[in-house]
Amino acid sequence: MTTAPLIKVEGLTKRFGGLVAVEDLSFDVESGEILALIGPNGAGKTTTFNLIAGVLVPSAGHIALDGQRIDGMPVHRIAGLGMMRTFQHNMPFAGMSLTANVLIGSHRKLRASVLDILAGRSFVRDEETQARQRAGELIDFVGLNAYRGADVTTLSFGEGRLLEIARALAGSPRVILLDEPAAGLTTAEISRLSAMIRRIAADGVSVLLVEHDMHFLLPLAHRVVVLNFGRKIAEGGSRDIVRDPAVKEAYLGEAAGALREGAPDA
Amino acid sequence: MDDFLELTVSAMASGCIYGLMALAYLIVLRPTSIINFAIGEWSATGAFVGVGMLSTLAWPRFEGPYILAIVAVVVVLGLLGWAVERLTVRPLIRRGAAVTSPILALLGVLVIFRESLTLIYGADPLPSPPPFGFKRIEIGAFAGASQQFFIIAVTLSLFALVWLFFERTVWGRAFEAVALNRRAAALMGINLGRVTALAFAGGAAVAGLAGLLMSPMTSAHYMMGLPLAIQGFTALVIGGVGRVEGALLGGLILAFVEQLGARYLPIPSGLTLAFPFALLILFLLLRPTGLIAPREAR
Repeated sequence: MTTAPLIKVEGLTKRFGGLVAVEDLSFDVESGEILALIGPNGAGKTTTFNLIAGVLVPSAGHIALDGQRIDGMPVHRIAGLGMMRTFQHNMPFAGMSLTANVLIGSHRKLRASVLDILAGRSFVRDEETQARQRAGELIDFVGLNAYRGADVTTLSFGEGRLLEIARALAGSPRVILLDEPAAGLTTAEISRLSAMIRRIAADGVSVLLVEHDMHFLLPLAHRVVVLNFGRKIAEGGSRDIVRDPAVKEAYLGEAAGALREGAPDA
Repeated sequence: MDDFLELTVSAMASGCIYGLMALAYLIVLRPTSIINFAIGEWSATGAFVGVGMLSTLAWPRFEGPYILAIVAVVVVLGLLGWAVERLTVRPLIRRGAAVTSPILALLGVLVIFRESLTLIYGADPLPSPPPFGFKRIEIGAFAGASQQFFIIAVTLSLFALVWLFFERTVWGRAFEAVALNRRAAALMGINLGRVTALAFAGGAAVAGLAGLLMSPMTSAHYMMGLPLAIQGFTALVIGGVGRVEGALLGGLILAFVEQLGARYLPIPSGLTLAFPFALLILFLLLRPTGLIAPREAR
C-alpha cells in the first residue's frame, strides 16, 4: 500500500443555481480501501460520485487521483486513468452479448489504435485474445458463466448488476465507484456481492461505495463518510459512526434503528 | 436465360456500389446519429483522386498501378473526412448544437466539394481506366465486364473487413457501444470525439472507394455523386441502419429491382429512375427500421 492516498478530495463544492448540493467536502481514499459514502436522501452522495467520475464539474475544490488533478477533465480521460464505475440503474449495452459488454470495459487498456488494426499489426491479435480471456475470467468471477453469450437484456436486475461490476473490472481499474450496488438484490446476491467487493479491495483496488443498505455496508466498509445536506458530518470506522450523535440526529427514526442493527458485533 | 444471368452480374455490381454508399452513411450515422449527405461528393472526389493517380492528370509522365490508386483514395479521403469532422462537426457539437446542425453544415460541405471539383478538374467528364481493361469475363454461366466482377470482389472483401472490425475487435465494439449508450461508453473510457472523427474518416474512405469503382462506367464527373448519394440512402433505408450486412442487402435489393424492372416491366425506361424513390417511400411507410433491425438502444 502506498502512503499517499490514491484519491484526495479537498474542499469539494457543487452548486446548482442557489442550491448547494455538496459543500466543502474533503476526504481521502487509500489503495485497497473500501470507503462508503452514506447519508439521508439528498445528502449529496450521488452528486459527489458524479463529481469524482467527471460527469459534473465542481464549483470549487479539487480532486486528485494518484497526485494528478482530475477535476474538470473529460469523463473518458478520467476513466482512462483507471477510475471505473457502475450505475445505480444498470446501463448495459443492450443488444450485445455479455462477453461483448465486458470487452468494452477493457477499452482503456487497449494499446492498439484503429490504424494498427488496419495495418494488421501482430500484437493486435494478442491483445484481443488477452482481452477476451480476461473477460471470460471476470464473468467467472462474478458468477455469470452460464450467460456468457446471452443478450444482456435477458439478464435479471441482479445479474445485470454483476455484469456492471465485471465490465468495470475489465478496465483493470485503480478505483471502482459502486453506486448503490446492493439495491434491488436478493439477500443471497448481497452476500455474494460483499465477498466479491472484499476480494476486489484485497487486490489493491480502492472501492468507493454509495449505499443505503446498512446491513450490507457497515460490516464491509473500512471507513465511512457521512453526509448531510452536502456537508460531511462524520467520518470513521463503522462502529464509531453508528454511535456518533450527529449521525443519529441525521438518521432520526427508523433509519437510526437500521444503523444500529447493521453494526458489526463489537 | 443468358440475358437474365448477365443482368444478374450487372445488378450485383450496381448493388455492391449502392451497398458501399449505404455503408459510408452507416459508419458515420451509427455512432454519431448524423446523416452525412456529403458522401456523394466524397465518392466523386474519390473517383477524381483515383483517376489522378492512374493517368498523367496529376503527375506528368507517371501512371501508377491500380493498387496505388486504391491506397491513395483511402488515405486522401480518410484525411478529408477526418478534417471535415474537425472543422465543421466538432465545433458545433462542442457548443452543444442540436444534431440537425452538423447535418446542415455537411450540406454546405457538399457544395464546397462539388464546386472545388469543377474548379480543379473542370466540368467535363474524365475517362477512368478500368484495372482489367474492357474484357468480357465468363465465370460458369455468368458473364459480364471485368470491372463488374472487380467491383463485386472488392466490395465483398471490404464488407468482410468492416464486419470483422465491428464484430470481432474491441475497438469495433467501442463504436457500437457509443451508438447504444453514449454516456456509459464515455464512462468506460471511450473517447467520443475520437470515435466521431474515425467514423467520418472511415465513411469518407468507403465512399471514395465506391466512386473509384464506379468511375470506369460513368467517367469521373463532378455530378456523379448525387445519384450515388440517393441510391446509397435508399439502400440504407431498405437494409436498416443498424448493421453492416443490412447495407449490402439493401444495395443488392435496390439494384435488382431497378434492373429487372427496367428490363421486364412494360414501362418507359425514363420511369426506371423513379425506382429508388418508390422503394424509399415504400420502406419509409411500411418498414422504417429496414429489413435487418438494429440492436435495441435504450
